[in-house]
Amino acid sequence: MRHESLAALLEHLPIKDGLKLSFHHHLRNGDAVLNMVLRAIYDRDIRDIQLYPSGIFPVHTAILEGLKQERITNITTNYLNGPVADHLKKHGLPGKLTMQTHGGRARAIIEGDTRIDIAFIATPAVDKANNGSGITGKNACGSLGYAIEDAKHSKITVLITDTIVDRLEVPQIKKEDVDHVLVVPSIGDVAGIESGTLKITNDPLGLKIARDTMRVIEAAMFLKEGVSFQSGAGGISLAITALFTKALEKKGITASFFTGGITAAHVKALEAGLVKNLYDVQCFDKVAIRSLRENANHRFMSASDYANPHNPKRKIKDLDIVILGASEIDTDFNVNVTSDSYYKIIGGSGGHADTAEDAKLSIIVSPLIKARTALIKDQLTTRTTPGEHIDCLITERGIAVNPKHKTLKKQLQAAGLNVMTIEAMQNLAHAFTDIPNPIRKPAGILGRIEGRRGETLDTLYWGES
Amino acid sequence: MARSYLFIPGNVPRMLQNMDVFDADAVIVDFEDAVATSDKDEARHLTSKFLQKHFPETCEIYVRVNAEQPWLEADIIAIKDLPLNGVVLPKTDVETLSLATELFDKHATAFDIIGIIETPRAFFHLETIFAHPSFKGAILGGEDLRKHIGFKPNDIALAFPRTQLLYAAASFNKIVVDTPYTGMDNAALEADIENASALGYKAKCAIHPNHVPTINAAFLPSTTAIKTAMRIVKQHENTGSMRFSLDGKMIDKPVILEAKDTLKRARKYGMEIRDSDET
Repeated sequence: MRHESLAALLEHLPIKDGLKLSFHHHLRNGDAVLNMVLRAIYDRDIRDIQLYPSGIFPVHTAILEGLKQERITNITTNYLNGPVADHLKKHGLPGKLTMQTHGGRARAIIEGDTRIDIAFIATPAVDKANNGSGITGKNACGSLGYAIEDAKHSKITVLITDTIVDRLEVPQIKKEDVDHVLVVPSIGDVAGIESGTLKITNDPLGLKIARDTMRVIEAAMFLKEGVSFQSGAGGISLAITALFTKALEKKGITASFFTGGITAAHVKALEAGLVKNLYDVQCFDKVAIRSLRENANHRFMSASDYANPHNPKRKIKDLDIVILGASEIDTDFNVNVTSDSYYKIIGGSGGHADTAEDAKLSIIVSPLIKARTALIKDQLTTRTTPGEHIDCLITERGIAVNPKHKTLKKQLQAAGLNVMTIEAMQNLAHAFTDIPNPIRKPAGILGRIEGRRGETLDTLYWGES
Repeated sequence: MARSYLFIPGNVPRMLQNMDVFDADAVIVDFEDAVATSDKDEARHLTSKFLQKHFPETCEIYVRVNAEQPWLEADIIAIKDLPLNGVVLPKTDVETLSLATELFDKHATAFDIIGIIETPRAFFHLETIFAHPSFKGAILGGEDLRKHIGFKPNDIALAFPRTQLLYAAASFNKIVVDTPYTGMDNAALEADIENASALGYKAKCAIHPNHVPTINAAFLPSTTAIKTAMRIVKQHENTGSMRFSLDGKMIDKPVILEAKDTLKRARKYGMEIRDSDET
């Protein structure tokens, strides 16, 4: 059923206390749909809202309003930063915060661990048959990968769009999964998707880490025909992607696929014929959106096809190399990308824990000293990704290999790389930073880190540190 | 022997802290042009305290002092007890060299001096400068020289001072380092290095850490050069001869010495040299 106003739509929805509502974050900091919908629901004095957005960005001020008005009880998401994180650190939640992985969220929805009542899906284009897509429309954001399982498995699916087209050749969300379509003047500002780093770092330390990462990939014998690769949109990751692409060209080989969030750097490799396919769960810039629209070998995929651990066809099952970041890492290689050292949420796993587990070579790249403190801790603030899934840490001062990977250590040493134990690397950092006093764990329990199969990896806290 | 000489400002903690991770063979901590007048005391204090606790072991360390008084004396007092590889003296001529060494004596210290040759006048006193016992070698200060003479940035104009310094350094067996490239275009940096290298330079200054990998790579001996050098040295050692032919070319003492230097540089920079490289 199509609606021309939000008020008219809500008349047809079973809006009541305790609803489980989902949203996606493909428009990132340019999203207007979550705020629009939540404010209309607040106007109906709804409480005990269970919120399931795939990501929460600073633009999502309606969540902050809902928290202050005590309308939101629980939040389950994969990524969270900005004012909502500030509020949760100071005030906690009446219920709990659950931080999932991208693959874990899709698994939970498919298997019924998460039962969404209404999925409100910002959709850049909807056709007359009610199919939805992200590749066209005035706010085209590319792949709608994180929303596809919501559409399939929610009790009610609502597409919210600002562009109606006659026919979509390749729907990302199929009409049979759609219950309502709401047409609004604008679903947001697509420029907001480019709110991350998205520029190759010019920082000498970052570039050194990138160069050493390529040397590790070569020494570990992964640079061969058919290699698959994933990197993010951070400055160091983009530098590595550029170097990786150059290395493919120099060796005269072709990668089988790049996966995950896609940027202009990945598209450049596709257009140069250096990678056969891009499997895209999320577009990070306009070049990626254009490529997804124009290039048949640039394909969207759902979060389940990307990283659901119980999906045997998940793309990352065949992934060779993944480049990941860290806000903290401990001497057992456990990684935190969720909180800062004062327990405030600053991000989340996204696909971190998913890809670290599945990829054959999982590399953490980071400066050794961040904000005048050592990256390597004796004890993590928050455990996002288990250390057993991390193969090595590359910093500007050397490479620490997880002791369980003896072959990798030998390969890197044979190549003359500066390999050291993670404890020795920690000592190098402490020589500059000294050992800081431990930060007191806050008393309030905010929620938990959920592993990709639903297991609890760690506890989240709120309150004074 | 160092290929890259990286300038870093002496008053920036992050640069000091990471001075040994940029892969430069030599680092020059700058108290002069990179540090504003109001920050010079801070640079002296910070550099001195930092190097007392964290003196790098993997690269050569120099301090570029100021040429003028009273800054020069304050600089020397701040660094006099540090185990530096030397000081870099800007605007080097006979007078600044004398002043620096007098101040070393006054404060009971001694350093080798790498002088930046960047005034036209200095080129008329190269013999005196290079003969000075504390003088370890020269850096060509191309930018300041350009301002003095008024030429536009180009390699034709630089060819003369570059060559002058090379000949002086060779005559006195001292080191010589090419002027830094001041842009951020890597292809232009490579072209600049190529021009200096063709004249005979084997080292270059960098004013940005991102220039260092390109400089280091450019001044590594090539695999072909290493293989040829190994064959020359091996034949020389086997026969004891200082004059022989190899592949139709006459080999004599200068060629043998150059081959030994090539192998020495290759070993220093971790290049793999194996017997199989000979064939």
